[in-house]
Amino acid sequence: MNTYLLYRNRDWKSPETYFDYGSIVQDLSLHILFRMASRAVIYERDEVKGITETDPFLQETMKRVMGVSLETYEEIAYRQEILKDCLNHEQFARELYSELTDILREWAHLGRQERKRTGSRNPVGDLMMDIQVLRLFLKGLARIRTLFEEAADLRSEGLCTLRDRLREQFPEETEQHYRTIADQIAFYISDRGDDEDRYPGEKLTVELPRIVFGVQAGDGMKLEGFVLQQVETQTKKYRDPNSAISKVQGFLQNRNGNVIPLSADSPVREQTSALEFEVVRYVMSFCEPFLKFYDDFFDQLHLQMGFYVGAVNLVHHMKRLGLDHCFPTVCTQNTLRFADLKEFVMCIEQRVNAVGNTCDIEEKSLLIVTGANQGGKSTFLRSIGIAQVCMQCGLPVTAASYASGIFPSFFTHFTRREDSAMNSGRLDEELGRMNQIIEHLGERSIILLNESFATTTEKEGSVIAYDIIKALQEAGVKILTVTHLLSFAKKVYEETKQTEAAGENPKTTFLSAQRLENGRRTFKMIQHEPELTSFGLDLYESIIVNKNEDSKRR
Amino acid sequence: MEFTSILDLRRRPNQDTSRPSFFVDLNLHQVVEKIQSLWGETVVPLYHYFPVDEECEEFRRAVYRDVKQEAVHQVLFHFYEAMKRRENARVKKEKVRSGLQKSSWQLRETAEYCYALQNLLTGLEGQELSSEGLQALREYLRGYLSGEAFGQLCGEVTELLAEQTQCRVTLIYDNQQILVSEEPTLPMYEDYLRNTGEHGKEFKSPFCRTDELTPLETEVWKLYARKHMDLFQRMEKFREKYSDYAEERLLLLAEELPFYLSFYKFEQWMKGKGFAFALPTCDSCKPMRAEGLYDLALAIVNLSGGKPVVDNSFYLDDGEQFFVLTGPNQGGKTTFARSLGQLVYFAKMGLSVPAKGANVPYFTGILTHFSVEESIETGRGKLKEELIRLLPMMEDGSRNSFVVINELFTTAANYDACIMGKNVLEHFIGLQCKGIYVTHLRELTECHQAVVSLAAMLDENRQQNFKVVRSKAETKGCAINQVNKYQLTYEQLKERLAR
Repeated sequence: MNTYLLYRNRDWKSPETYFDYGSIVQDLSLHILFRMASRAVIYERDEVKGITETDPFLQETMKRVMGVSLETYEEIAYRQEILKDCLNHEQFARELYSELTDILREWAHLGRQERKRTGSRNPVGDLMMDIQVLRLFLKGLARIRTLFEEAADLRSEGLCTLRDRLREQFPEETEQHYRTIADQIAFYISDRGDDEDRYPGEKLTVELPRIVFGVQAGDGMKLEGFVLQQVETQTKKYRDPNSAISKVQGFLQNRNGNVIPLSADSPVREQTSALEFEVVRYVMSFCEPFLKFYDDFFDQLHLQMGFYVGAVNLVHHMKRLGLDHCFPTVCTQNTLRFADLKEFVMCIEQRVNAVGNTCDIEEKSLLIVTGANQGGKSTFLRSIGIAQVCMQCGLPVTAASYASGIFPSFFTHFTRREDSAMNSGRLDEELGRMNQIIEHLGERSIILLNESFATTTEKEGSVIAYDIIKALQEAGVKILTVTHLLSFAKKVYEETKQTEAAGENPKTTFLSAQRLENGRRTFKMIQHEPELTSFGLDLYESIIVNKNEDSKRR
Repeated sequence: MEFTSILDLRRRPNQDTSRPSFFVDLNLHQVVEKIQSLWGETVVPLYHYFPVDEECEEFRRAVYRDVKQEAVHQVLFHFYEAMKRRENARVKKEKVRSGLQKSSWQLRETAEYCYALQNLLTGLEGQELSSEGLQALREYLRGYLSGEAFGQLCGEVTELLAEQTQCRVTLIYDNQQILVSEEPTLPMYEDYLRNTGEHGKEFKSPFCRTDELTPLETEVWKLYARKHMDLFQRMEKFREKYSDYAEERLLLLAEELPFYLSFYKFEQWMKGKGFAFALPTCDSCKPMRAEGLYDLALAIVNLSGGKPVVDNSFYLDDGEQFFVLTGPNQGGKTTFARSLGQLVYFAKMGLSVPAKGANVPYFTGILTHFSVEESIETGRGKLKEELIRLLPMMEDGSRNSFVVINELFTTAANYDACIMGKNVLEHFIGLQCKGIYVTHLRELTECHQAVVSLAAMLDENRQQNFKVVRSKAETKGCAINQVNKYQLTYEQLKERLAR
């Protein structure tokens, strides 16, 4: 059965993730977000009391779902709507998720994984498991249906249609039909009392089969053409087969002309267990379509509800940290407009309410950020990256407002500070990654470049950056770059001026970290022409010089 | 003509099923194994029977031409399948221990036999048959089936079988006993299961793990026999009466049919993959020729890799007897030589040949000599070893054979090799043989007026195209070829790196 909570028209079948998703996760520190999403905030009388432990499945689910971009406004709205429903019916969402966790745990307990791994080696064991799985499905589906019925005023299309589908596919009659079948063959999984170690008299009743069937002679007089007239499980008083009464009854049966007695040592016994097996297997084969229909359902619903529960958790963390949040607005690729956007991961890590940035950039395909070290440039770039990833999977973002286009081809190319040593091997690796990105460019692409090509000299790096970025820009790729390559920034800036002078609207804009007259950093980005120094000296002075003086003083 | 066999005029003319010596040289064992694996049963030995003379070859060719009519093929194939079921029943009958079971299997075996023959005759009646073999078969069946003995057999078996299927019981398994009743069974539970519109799997008999009766089945029939002893006794009488009912030549027919049927299946399969087949004409008065001839073994190997196979056309005019083929290594010389040998083999067997069209005159036999890899040498020097293998071919002395010789005397000095090669050629030409001689010795192309020089060609880019044409022997080297083959020239490398 279809779940369709992540997409209107399909389930989660390992869709294609962002290219080199691992790097995106690393560059934007998304793993912290995944972990946080898997931990619920505990309240006590509206006071935050603590945070639950990490739920590894939820963590993995967030990682998987966030790694895949939605493609259209409708797809994003579909998820946003469901998420709003879940925020309004938080208890429903959590109970549903935990019910599914229980069902899957019980299924695993029945030996689901082992069976998948080893295949069918033990037909009797497999058949018994099938009966138990049938019972589990019936119980689980009934419970899920009840949860949906109790959550009266669901509004989102996704949850409402799922509820309707459940009503339609799993009405009470269907449930009753399969329950009856499961009861009729219950003898097969019940304790038959022939366990020899059992203390005599411990077992008072046993469940025994009654099977009535027709057969005819086939080739070689083998019995064939089986037709079932009746299959029942009957509860009978337990009797030791070796007891005196059993023996007397066996004797009486033998006198009857058309009875085949089944004493414990009769060679016919072997065939009756084969008969029971085939009958039960045949009966279960009628349940197979039912089992198959829901085979993937519980996993899918677990995963898909997991995503929404994770999203609900994230919203609670935003609230806990005092961060504004909003559902982003989907625009064309030409718009990038936001107010008070904060870097969520940093806020989680440092437990602070960071400085928010506000920006309104229209009709620009290249955004170059230069300026003071430690001025919040990288944080700024990351905040956009995180918000973009969140938006593209339907999550809310930590901003007063956020409007942007959808870029299914989303790339990050970050030079990690600590290893930006100047050697050709590093540059080679950087270029190699860039080459990979270029090979995977799509129709709507965006690249976040952080200090790219800083692993070579400023001059060389500038030339490389200029060529690549120019080509990408011309190819219609949106680029946000934080750079120290001042010759590069300067060259692009001069070209931009010329374009403006020619009366055209340049496709490039420049931002800088704001630095007040007194040298204080506000950690805000403002639109500003590139500066030819990164004010690294300030930093050098404030750290190294001061430190030396400190130590001298000591 | 009285019907005896569809493989030959005389019954079992050639009982030798050992592999002919040329099979491996021509890679025919690969082809035949492929045919066998497609067919799914042992047929390889059938491909080792040779017709004894020209008349027999024509006899088979005519049968195969009939088999290729789809309607005829269907009839024969169904007959073959029915006879296979008969054989299975016979094997089961021999195997089981219980007398009652043996009798029951005897009914099945006999029934399959009767139906198989009735359907075969009915199927053949409407067909236009042109072969002597199948016409004789049909005539024979008309007589045999209208005979009194056959009619009685059919009648008895049909009646007993119908009675056997009427042996029905209802079993009630309950409370540690099984009640056997002859009340009819009501399929109530089946109906209940189908309530939801679902379909279950077929009910698999819990007793089918053995062909013998299980103790439960034995008990059931024991109880049943109390009232129905008479039927079981009549079944046993039938078994005794018809212990030897089958006509030998019809059993043989079922064994021989797979020869045509398996090749037909193979031919259809290859055609489906885009390969041509043709029934050759075999006019000894006309020149030998073929159009679009290819190496069938290579075609099968290349199928898995999706590589195309080059085909060639050739002819041998009056007075021309031997091709001497020269050309660059890896140019397709051996492949061409093999395809010629295969052409003659399949024509001799009366089957289709791997070509678009061909005329193959009658040859008494096929003689081949392929140089053996250094590694499988027997310790003798290579030249000595070659000569020892050549000796029986030369001594064979039979006239009018088809000879395929591949790279003789490669280890001998050029001068010696030329003289020896010339001798060999003259020997076979003298015996009115035809054939092909692949060699690197250009001198041999001009050693006799019955010799035709062939060359494996290079195309304008000096790439091999594996085409073989009549031409003076080429003298240029072929190193560039090897480089080309591995795409290692400067331009090629440039282009590859730009992608």
